[in-house]
Amino acid sequence: MSVTQHFSAGRIVPCDLKRTSRVRTLPGSAVFVLLCLAYLMLSTAALAEGVESTVPGAVAPVGTYEGEDVKQPIEFPHYIHAKVNKINCMYCHTYARRSKVAGIPPTSKCMGCHSVIATDKPRIKKLTEYWEKKEPPKWKKVHDVPDFVHFTHEKHLRRFVFNNDAMPVERVSEVCAFCHGEVKDMKVAKKTKPLNMGFCRRCHEANNGPFDCWKCHK
Amino acid sequence: MSLDKVKRRDFLKILGWGGAGATLVGCDMPTTVTLEEGKEEVVAYLAPEEYVIPGIGVWYASTCQQCPAACGLHGRVREGRVLKLEGNPDSSVNTGKLCQMGQAGLQGHYNPDRISKPMARKGGALAEVSWDEALAILDDKTGTKSGLDGTRLAWVTGAVSGHQSVMINAHLASTGSKNHFVQEVVNDAVWRAVCQDMLGVSNPRLRLDKAGVVLSFGADFLGTWGSPVHFSREYSKFRNSPRGTLIQAEPKMTLTGANADLWLPARPGTEGILALGIANELMVAQGVDNIPAQFKSLIRAYPLNKVANETGLSAEHIRNAAKMLKQRGPSLVMAGASAQGHEHGYQAVAAAMMLNIILGNVGKTIQAGPEVPFNQMRASAGGSSDIVAFADGLDKSDYDVVFFYNANPVYTAPDALKIKDKLGKIGFKVALSQFEDETTSQADLVLPLTSALEDWGTHVSPVQTGASEISVQQPLMEKLYSETRGFGDIMLALLKIRKSNAFSGFDDYYAYLRNAVSNMPAGSKKNSGGDDWSMALQTGLLAVNGRSADIAARVVPISMPAVSDNQQYPLHLAPSARLGLWDGRHANLPWLQEAPDQISKVVWDSWAELHPKTAAKLGIKQGDLIKISSSHGTIQARVYIYKGVNKDTVAVPLGQGHEGYGRYANGLGVNPLKILNPVTDARTGELALFATRVSVSPAGSDDGGKLVRMGGSETQVGRKLVATISADVFERTEGGA
Repeated sequence: MSVTQHFSAGRIVPCDLKRTSRVRTLPGSAVFVLLCLAYLMLSTAALAEGVESTVPGAVAPVGTYEGEDVKQPIEFPHYIHAKVNKINCMYCHTYARRSKVAGIPPTSKCMGCHSVIATDKPRIKKLTEYWEKKEPPKWKKVHDVPDFVHFTHEKHLRRFVFNNDAMPVERVSEVCAFCHGEVKDMKVAKKTKPLNMGFCRRCHEANNGPFDCWKCHK
Repeated sequence: MSLDKVKRRDFLKILGWGGAGATLVGCDMPTTVTLEEGKEEVVAYLAPEEYVIPGIGVWYASTCQQCPAACGLHGRVREGRVLKLEGNPDSSVNTGKLCQMGQAGLQGHYNPDRISKPMARKGGALAEVSWDEALAILDDKTGTKSGLDGTRLAWVTGAVSGHQSVMINAHLASTGSKNHFVQEVVNDAVWRAVCQDMLGVSNPRLRLDKAGVVLSFGADFLGTWGSPVHFSREYSKFRNSPRGTLIQAEPKMTLTGANADLWLPARPGTEGILALGIANELMVAQGVDNIPAQFKSLIRAYPLNKVANETGLSAEHIRNAAKMLKQRGPSLVMAGASAQGHEHGYQAVAAAMMLNIILGNVGKTIQAGPEVPFNQMRASAGGSSDIVAFADGLDKSDYDVVFFYNANPVYTAPDALKIKDKLGKIGFKVALSQFEDETTSQADLVLPLTSALEDWGTHVSPVQTGASEISVQQPLMEKLYSETRGFGDIMLALLKIRKSNAFSGFDDYYAYLRNAVSNMPAGSKKNSGGDDWSMALQTGLLAVNGRSADIAARVVPISMPAVSDNQQYPLHLAPSARLGLWDGRHANLPWLQEAPDQISKVVWDSWAELHPKTAAKLGIKQGDLIKISSSHGTIQARVYIYKGVNKDTVAVPLGQGHEGYGRYANGLGVNPLKILNPVTDARTGELALFATRVSVSPAGSDDGGKLVRMGGSETQVGRKLVATISADVFERTEGGA
């Protein structure tokens, strides 16, 4: 039995292994403390991580993720909207600046343009069918965080765009890209960032974001 | 610090420093299955209202339906779901507050045991049917060609008011029946009867805020009497500058009793004698002389020592109560469940009201309040006399068709009334219900109701609040189950079946209500500016010009029998109601099961409260399983030994002991109503809930279960967590007045 195992059996994990003697447990705790300190040093080094970004006064979070291709009811081409036609992300995801969720645009918003634009394209025909049936498409969720994580788009946009004088709102997609990747180069959106706690934490540290547990876990 | 001498405390400190780093290393764990891309659906609005923002709640006004008080609600709705309920600040009943039962309204709405489809009895069992089939059955049994003798139709409901009352009356009128039984076990029916006889007003406004001292004979106005939220608000005014004095006389300490300055555990059934004793002391020692002659002779027959002897209270306490009533006035005397729950309940409550008369409270702390001018909309508060009357009718085979709505007599009636067996005598039983319960499961046809948060309605509070208001109930969200229907919509269908012309011009209950509100007589409206209907929906209220009746003291003859001893059944049973499970209707809401009882702190169970001395005499220890037997049956519960109960009493709470009320309620605890003697108050016919005598003995075999309590100990075990000082010492050492 290694010292570490012995320690965890005797002190923390209740199990049927009996503590043998106090003398033998003490070196175990010492090793554990050293391990903790080592972790602390390693993780402190990791805290400073971050890469320069085009957004003034901001450091972009580090981390990549190989997302799956998601089959959507309509293959919505983000690049046509955001890149070719240079439509601002918040034109469609209009709730992002006001609410915790960015929101999928209501079908009425799609039809605002597509009752006259590109009406002959198969995807628009499909969209029009939905509209006429008075039924919004059932999109598949691509980006999500667990229910015990409170993430709000509104506060992040306030920090990086609206309270950031050097950052014009026209360039908001650069901020969106922190967590959503280069959506303007994608057809159907795909997850390219890990969106896990380490990813959030590194960004919060690099950008002086709040670091209390209950800022996100409430 | 040498590492081989790390102590536990040091180790924890080090862990604390390193904790942040140590735990955060685990943050890059792969995401869990539920967060896989492309698995969950996200559906956008088709064309949202301008003010709707996903992620941000919108508050709508409605009316709470968890008890008959009709508190105003505000419900937060987000992404089409109602998520939180709060009180409506504009409502004069609850002025922005909401009790735990109201908050738990959400759990009734989202309850997995809701009935989602109509059901009809086929081959002995209930089976799902379509609405077309259900309406065809109704037409066959209650339609104009059914051959039904309309006078043999009855409605059994809970307290009802507003336009729902109007609809029930219209249905009864369409058949020629007058049988409407309004059943509420937790009620103030005797108080109302006494008020009518002695004040000329059945529903006076009680001004706790104007009183300097309140004496309550078992009226648990902070918990279960009238509107707990309304009276709690009034109570806070009563307790503030200068602080009012509360005296509570009752056999089992209620939430109100626990707040009292002087708690008098009079022997059950002697509340009236106590009132007469206090009157005697007021007359003899406190110089109250404005006493009607008829009362004087009665009061003289109850000298202090005799009353102390019969009530089991100390003469000093009774003298003190009288002194406080006289010297700290204006006073207010109330009487509730434990005073009215006897064969002479009316007499006891009348004796309490007599105190109000001789103390000159009528017109001061007891006033006539403005009532809603539309008689047909006023609340039918109901009582338990209608349970007995219904059982009598069943004995005589008076009914061919019975509709049940918000009432569960199979659960609430004492076993001695044999309601469940007698229901077999009814040819056709229809239950309009959200949940399957003990009564619904006996029905021949079950019509699924929408929840209170999905339905339309108007309500008038049975409690006088000083304002004359109609509270509007509007849906807070779309129906969860498409085949449920609102009460009003079902009533319109029933009227159509009766070929009644009443309300035939309306497609649905919404259209009827909207029309009714818009067409209210101009003189009755108080809302100003804008459309009445929009105002009603926005504020949740319709303020109307109320009418006040005259209030004046009248003398009624009072006679008070002595309480006899009973060798076979030496103890009194106190079936106590509590804010939470109420009469058992909320036993299927886990939040309320989980919320500890205010006094005993027990959760998810029944218990029996015994005084320490009584328990010692019977050889019963804390947590023992005991048998409580009356001449009508036996129940078993674990003992909670506590000083807050009269020595001759065993108290068992209402609410548990369900057999067919869904997954959360079934199989928990016992229902003390089952073993009640079916005796009634001689004057009002109300069930004498506190009149049953019982014997208590150890259960014999015990499965070793435990009473789960959220409280640790009853004392501070000498730790002085809350420092106290007696008034005498305070006056001597601190110079207090």
